Amino acid sequence: MQPTRRQFIRHSSGAIIAGSALSAAPFVLAQDKSGDPAQPKPTLVVIYLRGGADPLQVLVPYGDPLYYRVRPTIAVPGPAALPGAGAGDRGAAPLNDYFGLHPAMRPLHDLFREGRIAPILSVGSPHPTRSHFDAQDFMERAAPGTRHITEGWLSRYLTHTRTNHESDLRGVSFQPVLPRSLRGEYPVLAVPGYGMNQTLDVFEKLYVNCDEERSLNQKQAAEVRAAQRPSRAGQAVPAAHPPIDGQTNQQTILAAGSRAIARLRELDRIIREGTNSATYPPSGFGTQLSHVARLIKADRGVEVTALDYHGWDHHAFQGGAEGTMANMLADLAGSLRAFSDDLGPRMERTLVLVMSEFGRTVHENGNNGSDHGRGGFMLAMGGMVNGRRLYGRWTGLDRENLIDRRDLPVHTDFRLVFAEALERLFGFDALGSEFFPGFARAGKMLDYLRQV
Amino acid sequence: MDGMIRHFFIAWCVTMVFTGPLRAGGAESRGSDERRLAVHVLNRLAFGPRPGEIEEVQRLGWEAWARKQLDPASVDDSDLHASLAHHFPSLGMSLAQAYRVYQPDYQGQQPSAEEMRMRHMMRGRIKDELKHAVLYRAVYSERQFQEVIAEFWRNHFNIDHNKGEVEYQANHYEQHVLRAHAFGRFEDMLMASAKHPAMLIYLDNVVSQKPLAEHERRMIERFERRSTYRFNPYIDQLQRQRGLNENYARELMELHTLGVDNGYTQHDVTELARVLTGWTAGWQRGRGGEMEYGFLFAHDLHDEGRKRVMGAAFRWADGVRAGEMVIRALARHPNTARFISWKLCRYLVNDHPPEALVERVAGVFQRTGGHLPSVYRAIVFSDEFADPANIGAKFKTPFEFTVSALRASGARLQHPSATLYSLEMQGQPIYGCVDPPGYYDQAEAWLDPGALLYRWEYALKLARDEAPGVRLDEALLPRLRAMRAQEKVSTLDTELLGGALDDRSRAALEAVDDDRLLLGMLLGSSAFQRQ
Repeated sequence: MQPTRRQFIRHSSGAIIAGSALSAAPFVLAQDKSGDPAQPKPTLVVIYLRGGADPLQVLVPYGDPLYYRVRPTIAVPGPAALPGAGAGDRGAAPLNDYFGLHPAMRPLHDLFREGRIAPILSVGSPHPTRSHFDAQDFMERAAPGTRHITEGWLSRYLTHTRTNHESDLRGVSFQPVLPRSLRGEYPVLAVPGYGMNQTLDVFEKLYVNCDEERSLNQKQAAEVRAAQRPSRAGQAVPAAHPPIDGQTNQQTILAAGSRAIARLRELDRIIREGTNSATYPPSGFGTQLSHVARLIKADRGVEVTALDYHGWDHHAFQGGAEGTMANMLADLAGSLRAFSDDLGPRMERTLVLVMSEFGRTVHENGNNGSDHGRGGFMLAMGGMVNGRRLYGRWTGLDRENLIDRRDLPVHTDFRLVFAEALERLFGFDALGSEFFPGFARAGKMLDYLRQV
Repeated sequence: MDGMIRHFFIAWCVTMVFTGPLRAGGAESRGSDERRLAVHVLNRLAFGPRPGEIEEVQRLGWEAWARKQLDPASVDDSDLHASLAHHFPSLGMSLAQAYRVYQPDYQGQQPSAEEMRMRHMMRGRIKDELKHAVLYRAVYSERQFQEVIAEFWRNHFNIDHNKGEVEYQANHYEQHVLRAHAFGRFEDMLMASAKHPAMLIYLDNVVSQKPLAEHERRMIERFERRSTYRFNPYIDQLQRQRGLNENYARELMELHTLGVDNGYTQHDVTELARVLTGWTAGWQRGRGGEMEYGFLFAHDLHDEGRKRVMGAAFRWADGVRAGEMVIRALARHPNTARFISWKLCRYLVNDHPPEALVERVAGVFQRTGGHLPSVYRAIVFSDEFADPANIGAKFKTPFEFTVSALRASGARLQHPSATLYSLEMQGQPIYGCVDPPGYYDQAEAWLDPGALLYRWEYALKLARDEAPGVRLDEALLPRLRAMRAQEKVSTLDTELLGGALDDRSRAALEAVDDDRLLLGMLLGSSAFQRQ
């Protein structure tokens, strides 16, 4: 069964359509100006929750009594569970009469009601791996089960749409080491820090890239990078690759260095001179997101950026309405809300996609935590979101409907969500080409986005 | 020129570069080739040359030097050993001793503020001792290959000493799992890691319990399906007991032995996890009556049912034996031989090691029953290892860069904290890799456009004596001061890089009139990032 644009919920008792009170007609916010050259480029911000964030604690199925039985110590109470003033703060914030948002994510609840956030249920990979590393690789390269695709999907998008006169800040990540989705041929900038202009002045002399050499270097770098694609540490012995020789290695390093210098200079200036008009949580993630906001507001043509948020592998002492995961969700939600407030009207052209490599076991484990599962969740935030409802198919928590009798099934292939983001944001047809190898237009788009 | 022709062209140029001087036959160019090879050997089998070491390798001949390094006991390292034992006592302690010393008991029921402060301090100290020891050894040990290969195993059998009580155990793990077996058999290292509390905690095996029996599971399911919910203490108890944790079992096959999806299924992972239930850590009375901490088999957590792992059935009353049997079988599996050989070739030769080499090395691994020194020898004395095409073909990891910069500049490391901080910024804190695969050693993982910046920063700080706790070799600057610009650059090129500097960098460096800046730039140059 393929996902459709309507949200389906099937209780264990049978299928029902859950177009509940809150899922009203799409909320039209702004007129489409995608063809207008005066409009800034749309931006896609990918937030990756590493470790397999638990979907059942984020989109709490409080309407299902089974949820409270399979998670005796970590279940999040529903909104009605705690009658009385102020009690709503401890129970899930209702998204409809079945699902609620974790109480620590309350800052995002207003955005849901305004139709600016779309949660997606039971989304994930068709590949059955429950290894973090494989699942992340497969997802960030958008090529489940395929080892010969070694470039990140965002990098591939940037490469496919590359032109001669484009911004050199199309792809940026505000962390020292790039997320896998941005690794590949396209020279995305990883930003280790700021205020290093002196150092750049010094090394500019050694990492020169003359114009005549640039094209050669880039071509070579591309070839080398294609050859250097890593087989990750855990991988079985990969197919034969020609070894890399010293000379090409030298060229690659020079090219990387000279690119870094030029763009770090520019980025440094943007972050120093930029401002934020909302208060972000004082966390590492909050700071990174505030910098993303400055970069977007600077109108320098950033199209794709991605951030990692580590630590979602809650095998033990995960907590329920409060506790370890709740604290992380509060930071995540507070940062996202600040970002949305900060960008204001720019959110009409900015899409934030929050994702993780897989979901977790439906049943809690013996350590008040949960183990690696399959079906997960995503959140889409932006002005172009068809909001006020949930997307994807839901088939309940009954063991009969779980994968291996333990995990949420995957009803929506993550590539469908990615494809829609690229299409509606950038007008890029990812399903028509071999962009996702072996993944033809198998199903209809979810339609969680409007064309920007 | 299309891609194919260009590729050949580049290959041809490179061949010219390396074979040209040999054909010319001059004594000087033969000398520089030998020098280049000596630097290559020092880069790959050591963390780069220290002042004077290139000459030493040339004097001995690189093969003789390498043979000595491959037998660490033949290299005198007593000074460092004594110094480490003095400064880092935790390295010589049993796990129980480490707990007693670094987690001091509270006297009363309620710890005093002073007691809590003390505990906090000691916890920081035991972690520091390990990080400092790893760094000092890498920089100063005469047994360089031992350190290079320890770094390999540290990543292969990765643990993160920021997870739970691993902080008290990682020092013992480094000594008794990695270093104790790095020149022994793979199987013994694997077994030692499987029984070490640090690994069992890091990969959650200590909390893995036998899963529910079928009848218990059915009972719970019947209960869950009932339309009305009523609390049942018996069911509640059963539900809490579910606790198979597959984390370690999966990594044992995926990362430590076979390689991912290389001869096992999800079912095998679950079955192996069941075999390993009860493999945990804790205190028990030792032979002398003292309480000892270590591997502990917990019968009550062990699943005694029938299991099948990769086609072999296990039903042993003794859960320790059954686990040992599977682990031995994994260590001896041909896929393991190939996987470990491939990783070692990747580490020591090329990010994409030649197929034929991997095949040969895997053959040695199997024939010798995973005797590691034989495996190392097969790689180091292969034609591929010394092939000019592999010289400078690898990009240094942040750790390799940092250590090699300290060695090349002959720096004195009085306090390592600034250096450890730089490693963190470069993305490679010691014993701080969260992900079970450990740190990558391939260029692609580290060569991001922004990643060079922290290296440059460190190189400049080091050269300017601005990194706290690090001081340059006192003789270096006065020597440079007496030289002319060209001479300075060619001396540094010869002594630090073995002549790998390209013409344009040379020209840029000759224009620099500040000696410290010159040194910093050289350490930050593209040539110094290669090995």
